Amino acid sequence: MSVRPGPQPLNLFVSYLDLLKLASPEAIIVLIALAVLTIGLTGDRSRTFPGIVAVVGIVIAIWTTMRLPQHANLFGGMLVISPLNSLFKIVCLALALATVPLAVSEKSMRNPGEYLAMLLLGTVGLLLLVGSEELLMIFIGLEVLGLSLYVMAAFDKTDARSAEAGLKYFLFGSTASAFTLFGISLVYGISGTTALNVIGLKLAMGSIPPLFAVGIVMTLIGFAFKIAAAPFHLWAPDVYQGAPIPSAAFIASGSKVAAFVVLGKIVLVGFAPAHGNAAWHSMLPGWSPILAALAALSILLGNFVALAQTNVRRLLAYSAVAHAGYTLLGLVAGGREGFSATLFYTTIYALTLIGAFAVVGIVKRETGGDDFQNFAGLASRSPFSAACMSVFMLSLAGLPPLAGFFGKFYLFSAAFRAGGNHGLLWLVVVALFGSFVSLYYYLNVLKAIFVDKNASETRHSSPGTHRFVANATIAVLAASVVLLGVLPDALAEAIAKSVP
Amino acid sequence: MADSVDQIFVHAKQWLMSPLEGHIPDCLIQIVSSLLNIAAVLGVFLTLFALMSVLERKILGRMQNRYGPNRVGPFGLFQPVADGIKMLIKEDIVPARADKVVHFMAPILIAAAAILVLGVIPYGRNMTPFVIDGGILFFFAVGSTTELAVFMAGWGSNNKFSLLGAMRAIAQMISYELPLIITVLPVVMVVGSLNPDKIVFAQESYHFGFVPHWFVLTPWGATAFILFFVSGLVESNRTPFDVPEGESEIVAGHMTEYSGFKYATFFLAEYLGMFAVSGLAVTLFLGGWHAPLPGLGFVPSYVWFFAKLSVLLFGFIWIRGTLPRIRVDHMMNFAWKFMLPMAFTCLVSAAVWHYSGRRLSGWLWSFAIIAVVYFALSLLLDARRKFTPRTYRFAE
Amino acid sequence: MMSPFLFWIFAILMLVFGAAVIINRNPVASALSLVVSFFGLAALFLSLDAYFIGVIQVLVYAGAIMVLFLFIIMLLDLRAEELRKINWIASAGGIAVALALMFQIFSVVEKFPAAKQSFPPLAKPAPDDVRQIGLLLFNNYTLPFQIIGIVILVATVGVIILSRRETR
Repeated sequence: MSVRPGPQPLNLFVSYLDLLKLASPEAIIVLIALAVLTIGLTGDRSRTFPGIVAVVGIVIAIWTTMRLPQHANLFGGMLVISPLNSLFKIVCLALALATVPLAVSEKSMRNPGEYLAMLLLGTVGLLLLVGSEELLMIFIGLEVLGLSLYVMAAFDKTDARSAEAGLKYFLFGSTASAFTLFGISLVYGISGTTALNVIGLKLAMGSIPPLFAVGIVMTLIGFAFKIAAAPFHLWAPDVYQGAPIPSAAFIASGSKVAAFVVLGKIVLVGFAPAHGNAAWHSMLPGWSPILAALAALSILLGNFVALAQTNVRRLLAYSAVAHAGYTLLGLVAGGREGFSATLFYTTIYALTLIGAFAVVGIVKRETGGDDFQNFAGLASRSPFSAACMSVFMLSLAGLPPLAGFFGKFYLFSAAFRAGGNHGLLWLVVVALFGSFVSLYYYLNVLKAIFVDKNASETRHSSPGTHRFVANATIAVLAASVVLLGVLPDALAEAIAKSVP
Repeated sequence: MADSVDQIFVHAKQWLMSPLEGHIPDCLIQIVSSLLNIAAVLGVFLTLFALMSVLERKILGRMQNRYGPNRVGPFGLFQPVADGIKMLIKEDIVPARADKVVHFMAPILIAAAAILVLGVIPYGRNMTPFVIDGGILFFFAVGSTTELAVFMAGWGSNNKFSLLGAMRAIAQMISYELPLIITVLPVVMVVGSLNPDKIVFAQESYHFGFVPHWFVLTPWGATAFILFFVSGLVESNRTPFDVPEGESEIVAGHMTEYSGFKYATFFLAEYLGMFAVSGLAVTLFLGGWHAPLPGLGFVPSYVWFFAKLSVLLFGFIWIRGTLPRIRVDHMMNFAWKFMLPMAFTCLVSAAVWHYSGRRLSGWLWSFAIIAVVYFALSLLLDARRKFTPRTYRFAE
Repeated sequence: MMSPFLFWIFAILMLVFGAAVIINRNPVASALSLVVSFFGLAALFLSLDAYFIGVIQVLVYAGAIMVLFLFIIMLLDLRAEELRKINWIASAGGIAVALALMFQIFSVVEKFPAAKQSFPPLAKPAPDDVRQIGLLLFNNYTLPFQIIGIVILVATVGVIILSRRETR
């Protein structure tokens, strides 16, 4: 029986200046958040100025991320700089950048300074999550992100739905983080470390202890919640529908991308030896059958329930559940190919969803609602928004010339080839079936936009500048979705090159 | 000779323990030793409590040009005995709608907490009842349960005055706990230990042969000591911060529904809390049991400790005889807007003092930091412009 | 070192009062039970020679956080909770789910051969555990320690935004 030493103070002391240099994107975002908060304090209620400050700050942070060294590893994985991490830091920052105009053009938004500060602090959480390969840091990143998202979801105090969204998100989220923390503590207790690569090495050496299996399952629960995979999706419809639109967009995009990056690292690096097998005839216990089951359940449940929705944001929520299922396919397939397919798809999906939410925002401002009937006649009211919305919807459905098609193509082909002797064919079949079902409800939205009679009167019209900001964002997002559809290699190559 | 007088109590305990050695197992010896320590602490402080209660009344009396109690025994010194008997034979009333268990537990908990914190203070050389490595932390951890006891008293009584009093008490205790703990941090930081004995040892020798190394003689130490003392006044609910039991407004606050011996227990806990806070102040800032001048080392260490303690206790009484009660909102503003920033300043100032080699230049720099912050705060918080007729929003 | 007798006493104390937290209808009684449960936990830490963690457990949880809990309960006057009837069907369902989860965990754990092994003993902690924790906190865990500051900032700003009354 061996005596296990506790954690010893390592002599890996880094000077604070070096630490600051390597964590400069995070530090800049925190500083900008404080600046925006202070602007909000001065009593200036205008939304434009803090918005400009936030945009400038995020752009500077993107620039510093590009100038980071290629490789660095601080404190045993707590802050890792690698091409993959830097790329996804940039993606997360870009998603935050796309969310800022949504917040600025939201007319009912009070306390814009505080809102943008929460958004930026949430972005810090994203950066920490993406840039860490150590369970403790990942958990703290999840908490930073989670807390700011709870506040953002409940931000609109004039709307009872927003309060409901915030409360539900908070209750589900805190329970899920409790599970994750429990799981992490079990993993730490068994392996004696929280660094993912060391955990992987220790696991590879011997048989997997039973409590470790419990730890894996518990850890996965927290992430299944973050990516809204069934059966941990129950918060999603209410949050997507009730939260202020920029919050919903950020929850659906940034938080999901970061969660997938981290989940991928955890299962593929930390838990790699506990892979198991999800192939139909040779199932072996491990995390991959669990993820496969989550994926299949999400695809079926998300798509079928989405059929019955009459509210566009609720529909997007259920479709998000389904998309989480598709995205998990890549992780189940595993390997470089599967992971890069997952990353590519989640990035595309996030861009599309922010765009869709931006259009929903415009419709909601103009007609006061976001049901199908509010979308009726959008084509005649605002042909531009209608066109962009159709791009987003068709990309979500996965029709060929658009980015969503290539995302699904990579995912399904990765899953098809993996698992030895096409063992994951069952999952691919489920996913394809789900995609066909989803076509119906996405087209239903387009039917409302292009075919239905204009039932609701335009009640409000946005002031010129805000309208312009919103339209410009939508245009950029739609253009990038089309562009990535035409030239998918531009992003896919970059991701594939950076995945270790 | 001087040494044996100094260690007389330590030797007495060893003598008492010596017949037990070898006859009973070690764990029992530990228990007996602890019990002896507990008995000593209780004996000393209960006597001190009795003495203090009568002295306070006599000193207050003198301050108000009257005699104070002088009927029972010589100079009225047996007054506490008479008071004790009175309290014991009074009827114990429990309100019919009270939460009986909570109501009963509150005085026990509050007295237990007050007695426990007395256990970690070094009363003399080798005279710390319980040597705990994180003694200072233990002090605050146990001290913070007092708030729970106050809550239980206020809630369990099922009386609106009790509840209001408890709310006020908890609000002020939480607010002033922050400066109380943060003013201790510079000492802990400079000494590098949470152990009270080590803190006392760090204040041992003398500058230039006659100025003691007490922390109160540094700028940050003096400031921290004053802040600590004021927070201590609040934590033990003493005038001018006795808002929770302001009898002109809410009868007796959380103690309204207590009578007889339970009431006496609250009273006891308040005094023991006062002793504990003063004792900690002596330990942290006033050099503990060290003599103020090098030639006075022949006087036993515990004498010095209790001399310093009684000076602080006299300060408590003096303030009570001098100052009127402060308003609740003023008190809260004072805690958050003045005490807390000043406490943090002490931390910075102590760091400057420590890292500049504890020389005169460091002394002056640390003094400058405190002076600058003090004047900046007093400019910022200048309330003179705001003197307007008071309006009562809820009493129209 | 830890005596098994003390372990059982404090563990049972902790669990019994932990159960009392959810069984009690009166919110104050629940909160006070939680305090007792925390004290039991602190005692377990102490008996494992983790003095610092044990004391912090009392100072932070029992002392600060629970007092704030109680303060809020006092302000809200949650009498309605006491009158609420217990939904037997729902609670039976909840217990059933919890038992099912427990059964599942046990059955998973039992399947593994390594379940029969006992844990290796912990190393004897250093005598000055406060210093040890401080060194760890400012060396290995500097970054999380700093980030916790951001967590607290987020929570503070969020609470103020959500609880403040809007002035028009």
